[in-house]
Amino acid sequence: MEIKDSYKLPLSKERVWAALNDEDFLKKSIPWCEKLERRSETELAAEVKLKIGPMSTRFTGSITLSDIDPPNGYTITGSGKGGIAGAASGSAKVKLVEDKDTTSTTLSYEVSAQVKGKIAQLGSRLIQSTAKKLSKNFFGSFVKQLEDMDKLK
Amino acid sequence: MSEGIGASVTRKEDKKFLTGKGRYTDDINRPGQTHAYFVRSDVAHANIKSIDTKAASSADGVVAVYTGEDVVADGIGGPICGWVVPCRDGSATKEPPHPILANGKVRYVGDHVAVVIAETLAQAKSAAELVEVEYEELPAVVDLEKASSATEIHKEVPDNCYFDWELGDEASTDKALKSASRVVKLTVRNNRLVPNAMEPRAALAEYDDISESYTLHTTSQNPQLTRLVIAAFMFQIPESKLRVVAPDVGGGFGSKIYVYAEEAVCTWASKKINRPIKWTADRTQAFLSDAHGRDHINNVQLALDDNNKIVGLRVDTICNLGSYLSAFAVSVPTYLHGTLLSGVYDIPAIYTNVKGMATTTAPVDAYRGAGRPEATYLLERTMDAAAREIGMDPTEFRRLNFIPKDAFPYQTQVALQYDTGDYEPQLDKAMEMIDYKNFETRRSEAAKRGMYRGIGVSTYIEACGIAPSAVAGALGSRVGLYESASVRVDPTGTITVFTGAHSHGQGHATTFAQIVSEKLGVPLANVDLIHGDSEKNSFGMGTYGSRSLAVGGAALVKALDKVIEKSKKIAAHLMEASVEDVEFKEGKFAVAGTDKEKAFGEIALAAYVPHNYPHETLEPGLEESAFYDPLNFTYPSGAHIAEVEVDPATGVVKVVDWAACDDFGNLINPMIVEGQVHGGIAQGIGQALLEDAHYDENGQLLTASYMDYCMPRADDLPSFKVGYTNTPCTHNDLGVKGCGEAGAIASPPAIINAIIDALSPLGVTDMSMPATPQKVWKAIQDSQSIAAE
Amino acid sequence: MYSTKYVKPNSTPEALEAIKSLSEGKFLAGGMTLIPTLKQRLASPDGLVDISGCNLDTIADEGETIKIGAMSRHVSVAESPVVKKAIPTLASLAEGIGDRQVRNRGTLGGSVANNDPSACYPSAVLALKATVHTNSRSIAADDFFTGMFETALEEDEIIESISFSKPTKANYVKFPNPASRYAMVGVFVAKFGEGVRVAVTGAGEGGVFRHKEMETALSSNYSSDSLSSLNIASDGLISDLHASAEYRANLIKEMTKRAVV
Repeated sequence: MEIKDSYKLPLSKERVWAALNDEDFLKKSIPWCEKLERRSETELAAEVKLKIGPMSTRFTGSITLSDIDPPNGYTITGSGKGGIAGAASGSAKVKLVEDKDTTSTTLSYEVSAQVKGKIAQLGSRLIQSTAKKLSKNFFGSFVKQLEDMDKLK
Repeated sequence: MSEGIGASVTRKEDKKFLTGKGRYTDDINRPGQTHAYFVRSDVAHANIKSIDTKAASSADGVVAVYTGEDVVADGIGGPICGWVVPCRDGSATKEPPHPILANGKVRYVGDHVAVVIAETLAQAKSAAELVEVEYEELPAVVDLEKASSATEIHKEVPDNCYFDWELGDEASTDKALKSASRVVKLTVRNNRLVPNAMEPRAALAEYDDISESYTLHTTSQNPQLTRLVIAAFMFQIPESKLRVVAPDVGGGFGSKIYVYAEEAVCTWASKKINRPIKWTADRTQAFLSDAHGRDHINNVQLALDDNNKIVGLRVDTICNLGSYLSAFAVSVPTYLHGTLLSGVYDIPAIYTNVKGMATTTAPVDAYRGAGRPEATYLLERTMDAAAREIGMDPTEFRRLNFIPKDAFPYQTQVALQYDTGDYEPQLDKAMEMIDYKNFETRRSEAAKRGMYRGIGVSTYIEACGIAPSAVAGALGSRVGLYESASVRVDPTGTITVFTGAHSHGQGHATTFAQIVSEKLGVPLANVDLIHGDSEKNSFGMGTYGSRSLAVGGAALVKALDKVIEKSKKIAAHLMEASVEDVEFKEGKFAVAGTDKEKAFGEIALAAYVPHNYPHETLEPGLEESAFYDPLNFTYPSGAHIAEVEVDPATGVVKVVDWAACDDFGNLINPMIVEGQVHGGIAQGIGQALLEDAHYDENGQLLTASYMDYCMPRADDLPSFKVGYTNTPCTHNDLGVKGCGEAGAIASPPAIINAIIDALSPLGVTDMSMPATPQKVWKAIQDSQSIAAE
Repeated sequence: MYSTKYVKPNSTPEALEAIKSLSEGKFLAGGMTLIPTLKQRLASPDGLVDISGCNLDTIADEGETIKIGAMSRHVSVAESPVVKKAIPTLASLAEGIGDRQVRNRGTLGGSVANNDPSACYPSAVLALKATVHTNSRSIAADDFFTGMFETALEEDEIIESISFSKPTKANYVKFPNPASRYAMVGVFVAKFGEGVRVAVTGAGEGGVFRHKEMETALSSNYSSDSLSSLNIASDGLISDLHASAEYRANLIKEMTKRAVV
């Protein structure tokens, strides 16, 4: 399963990179995030209440940052346990490429997702669509926050 | 109308089943009963770093929580392997431990990690959520072809290979391949299936601390063997201290042959808590933990001479046996598969090599047909591929290579000796039933409707009536495969039959009674069958491998012969005649040449009220037992022809017609036989078109419910045309061969051959199972894009 | 399932009161999705408000439209003389949902509010220019479905009925998932004076959607020939074990052709 997309932002690479490392930004971007606490430079504890149709399950886990290459990108991985529902993890390789004139940056991502337990056993038809949707929600709201902030300035 | 052999009487058991009065394991409840729920691994492969059961143990209603450590502490062993084979290098089959609760490691999603026992099932489930298991994940091993170089699953199993076995003469086969004028090569995959018995597995275990004995009610095809394995091998308690009862069993297809962790855990724990424990699988647990079926990859090379006669066959197989070796897992791809590779054909040189691999998936074992469907599939697919290559009609090519009818008994190059058979008439009849000769007219008519119509043949053989114990023993079986029967005649002449076979849908209460009715001339209503209870029945080997009638029925005939023999002596005494002059016919004992006769009931009464009785030479009573060990396998065979129509726009394959002509020897109840044929074909259609157990690359089972695992439904099936030929089995008294698995063995290659035939005008030459609409559509698209290039 | 509270009010206002008293309550209509989810313990609402006693199951012909109560069971829609006369395709769609047991329990409102990407009803709502009437407002179909399992409904908003416009011609053809028999692709084509609407279910990652290209083609020429040259894109289509996005794209075209008769 491969999920890819990209966004063009009217901001410098450094500005986008800073946001990618700002936990408030991340918290607001992670769909249904209820809790996000930094544990270390590269790890945050997270709690997400995921609602897919009638299913509603709280996942507790972590967000880790790896392959950090400032300000060009990193891999952000979220993984959580949803109790009886099983477990889920998603990993996004994020790349930032600045335009030649440095006025805008293209953020591109590539996501791979994995589910375990009951959600895999019962919900296989929804795995890919859900992973896509969550990725879109995350990057969509991340980008929107940045744009809004830019407008406010 | 006769109720004896050959009569299509309605089934004695159907009233209770059709009115919902069947009594299954889950219907039984005991005072003080608790409920078990298993904590299962949701990862495919991991070391267990820790299990914290504290919170669960103190949760509402929880009676006990146990883990693998408790099992080890009590010295409880795991299920054993019932059949092993030697490897090519002289080493033995690798038999890793199979703990009933994980011992430091989990090896598939669904593996049993802990059990929670509580007052109610809901409480057990809630507490199970509180069991914290910390895993150190290891790479999953899912891809069968890469298993040998993947992460080691058991330290006892190097290269994840349980065994590397061979059969036949490699040198002469390779020589035949080398000197052949043509070698047809084909690689086929036999898709992995989940058995899906209608009744999920269940157990109800209790311990009586006065008699110090256990009683286990469970969903088993062979309760006697379950008792032996649990008592002697797992618990090491006197066998007499365990009673195993399998009440009504709602289907099994092989999956209920084996002892599983759940019933052993419940039995063990029932003593620890001194209360009855019930466990019933839900459907997804069944998907995860019932032994799966099939999952082979076969590389086939078929050598032909200038006259299109087969001169050699080589088959190299790797098969997926999953995370642990289930009881008969080793026998299925070896002696139930390799020995069938000659099919119905005269093949002078055959060699096969089979590698049984470990993966981090559910254990794989026998499933309806067990090895024989895989052998039939690869052979019949190759026969069609060869016929297409040489441009010969597939029925003509088969005919050319059939074992001639005067060649019986026929010794194959793969150990078996077929006692009897006649294959041409089967094919003739099936071709006539489906109107083979006018097929092209139907193909053109379909083409006018935009549909691709195809016809596919499968001429199969199977080895049933499992099995002669001495042969099985020599081939690696650790059990005997005889069957037992007792006939108890009551003083009024009614009869109770006890058998070690156990019906899980086959209709034994009817067919066994028909045999009694035929032999003793008593009405069917006077005969009852008792089976499935180790306390009531003599030791027997249960029901699988189409053996109940061919082995259990033959044992029954032997017991009935003893009853008749004794009755004759009693009759001779009563009628003051010599035994030699007493004839038994239609339920009456008569003195030859006189009008003196005694009804069977009168003899029974005399046996139990022995006022006038030859006490000097005869014991009172009329009750006889017999054990029967078959002399050979039985060899049902047949020709199945499928017609399909493929919709090129959607890839949907519709099975539009079906002719089956089978030789099962004599038929006891043709209606029941027809039902077995229908059910078998339906399952074969399921395998060929619909069913597929799919693990993702992380070892998660994605088809673990009916949302994604596709079972055949009535509207997937045509109306079957069923016919028979008969060459009676030469070595059992009933002349029967067995019919339970034939449909599932014969049908998959017939369908796939038909699909390839339908699509051959488009250049499609291969199709894998299941031929789903998407797959068929894609094959059409790909062939068209190749054509366009 | 986890233990939960259960109430069965007698009117929509009472149902709204009841749900407000719960922190994570759920409305229970037919329960064909919710109950299995609860049994699997994949949701744990603190209460269920059963709306089957709220008199939401009338079916009426209102001239330009027919209005169907949200709690109408699939079997009632399938057998309704009103529906059969005015929009026979809607009746046959209902008759093709699930099995007899599901049709006896499942409801129009439940299906539409859940907006399962593979459900049949949403395609009818969208293609038949329906209006969804809730306790507080009326929502046009085009504004109602907002994504997979998502709708314009607020928390604590109840669908009371749905008005379907009467088409001059309509047809629903589905390709069922071989295993579940949900729509792997379902196409609802409805012809109105002003043009043709084509709604596709089972195929879109965002749930039911209108296929504008096919609508344009069919509006100018209502025949399957007009679709032949169309290239159906697979972007945004669901890909799963049973069907890739490309295969679904093929099925969309094929089912639409079969619907246009």
